[in-house]
Amino acid sequence: MLAAAAGAHDVLPPLEFEPPAPGSYRLDHIMPAPDGTVLDVRNRRARLSALTAGRITLLSFVYTHCSDETGCPLAYGVMDALRGRLVHDPAAAARVQFISLSFDPQRDTPEAMKLYGGDRAAARQGPRWHFLTTPSPRELKPLLDGFGQDLSLVLDEEGRPTGNLSHVLKVFLIDPKSEVREIYSTSYLQPRMVLNDIQTLLLEEGSAAH
Amino acid sequence: MKLTRLLSPAALLLAWLSVTACFQAAADETCNSPYIASLIKGQEDLVYVWTLGEPGLGDGSDKLVTIDVNPKSATYGKVIHTVSVGRRGEAHHMGFTDDRRYLWAGGLDDSNIYVFDVAADPAKPRLVRTISDLPAKTGFVGPHTFYAIPGRMVVGALSNTKDGSGVTGMTVFSNQGKLIRSVPMPVGGGGDGYGYDIGINPRKNVMLTSSFTGKTNYMTDLGKLVKDEAAMKKFGNTMVVWDAKSLKPKKVLAVPGSPLEIRWSLNPKDNWAVVATALTSKIWLIKQDAKGAWQAMEVATIGDPAKIPLPVDISITHDGKGLWVNTFMDGKTHYFDLSDPEHPKQTYEKVTGKQVNMISQSWDGKRVYITSSLLANWDKKGEDNEQFLRAFNWDGKELTPAFEVDFIKEKLGRAHHMKLGTRHLKSAYADEPVERVARMQ
Repeated sequence: MLAAAAGAHDVLPPLEFEPPAPGSYRLDHIMPAPDGTVLDVRNRRARLSALTAGRITLLSFVYTHCSDETGCPLAYGVMDALRGRLVHDPAAAARVQFISLSFDPQRDTPEAMKLYGGDRAAARQGPRWHFLTTPSPRELKPLLDGFGQDLSLVLDEEGRPTGNLSHVLKVFLIDPKSEVREIYSTSYLQPRMVLNDIQTLLLEEGSAAH
Repeated sequence: MKLTRLLSPAALLLAWLSVTACFQAAADETCNSPYIASLIKGQEDLVYVWTLGEPGLGDGSDKLVTIDVNPKSATYGKVIHTVSVGRRGEAHHMGFTDDRRYLWAGGLDDSNIYVFDVAADPAKPRLVRTISDLPAKTGFVGPHTFYAIPGRMVVGALSNTKDGSGVTGMTVFSNQGKLIRSVPMPVGGGGDGYGYDIGINPRKNVMLTSSFTGKTNYMTDLGKLVKDEAAMKKFGNTMVVWDAKSLKPKKVLAVPGSPLEIRWSLNPKDNWAVVATALTSKIWLIKQDAKGAWQAMEVATIGDPAKIPLPVDISITHDGKGLWVNTFMDGKTHYFDLSDPEHPKQTYEKVTGKQVNMISQSWDGKRVYITSSLLANWDKKGEDNEQFLRAFNWDGKELTPAFEVDFIKEKLGRAHHMKLGTRHLKSAYADEPVERVARMQ
């Protein structure tokens, strides 16, 4: 179904190789997705599991002050490009969603995340896109540890924090049963490959239904 | 507040290309996977040495040794920490997880995998997990290569539980140590089923693997082994081109003479890898031909092959223009100019020990570290059995000794694989009280 939508609405950059066809390869069950308390843009508390259950979820840890174009903005760009493709396939879009989850709760309040999400946070068409934060580091840390999302303070020569954060950009593909099925870091965050993985999970869902 | 700029498809492609360029150009010691984060671009603080225990030397056990290598430090050039695993299992190679927080290290004899936390206190690694059921669960023996992919570790083995030959496979673990899948090396269609090193080029979705030999050979005394004609035929002669996404083999390349360490050029404009063959003493180049098919070609000779200098570890410079090659038997360190990768030219060599194996370099190439041990049963004997880490400064013309750690005098063991470390990252929220971790049901 996504392939049919592709021709006229191809907003994804090309690859330098022929990727394996959706459904022709296995997406491993890497780990159960960790759960925890999050806040949405309206400052409503929720369990992350309640938001991800029943849908294919692409989740990225971000922070709004990230100034590295090859970091959080890249993840946002990839997710937005995928959204642009999925907008033209309402059936698929209804089964897929995106989550941008801040790992800087002290600065990224619900209001900040609402501003960060812009019209994507309120969009009525295409896959749902949640812009989330956590009440405090207390609720955030188990999610970081559980997902294996490292986050470090960059120290100066005297061992004092410089105020900069260092992290591996990671985006997680979670299936409707809350299993992490793929993890992308920058070297592998290619929109077409991510789309193929989403399609692979959609095909898997379709097979399970029969 | 700065808002993320939405990227057009063209801009997205440029950003992604610059990401892979950034990763590739910024790598330090070149054994690292392209997924490794927090690359040390400046002065490294530490070198971790995975060390093979030696009976009668210290506790005789395999251990992770930490050496201070920052010239500004009061303990520069000194061993500042060791963590013993309490047994001797032929410690050999190790690798960082993608977040550089853990070092996974393996034993070729007991097939144990040890996971060390190097993030909580980089100067004092802690053993946090031991995986001891690799053979039972997979049939593979001798975990050799530890190659990070996002959130996971690919472990390439050397042998198997059935016959101790080189027929083997790879295993994918989650970073938390859960076994996800095992993948046999291809047999048939030119494939010999052997494995050794792993190297991924994400931009091309290509994974390369190489081939060595099995446990019956690598645990046999070298002097005895070379006289056994039948055993000497049981070395790998292939490399495999894989689809890195699906982990399916696509093509087997004939590369005779036991191709070992694989090094993709880190230059973002390049799209090739090099490997050295241990038994035939050649450098091979792996690249796509005009039709896009991956091919292997012999491009240079290392030393005098008739004398079997035994090329072992290699280290490519961050710009892909140079290659260090150690030859074990004559103790030489060679430098090849790779400006034209189809015609490498040796421009320098130096005897750096009576036996030399691993070689690692800083990101800027100005510091080079060399260790001595190959395998307990292959290392030289008597006075030739030096065991050391030697640090050198390199100015493009000459390797100048900086410091040395004598692993025998320090009662440590046989010095083998090295990884560079930094003191300059501290986990965020490390001191925060936390909510109990839950898993989704």
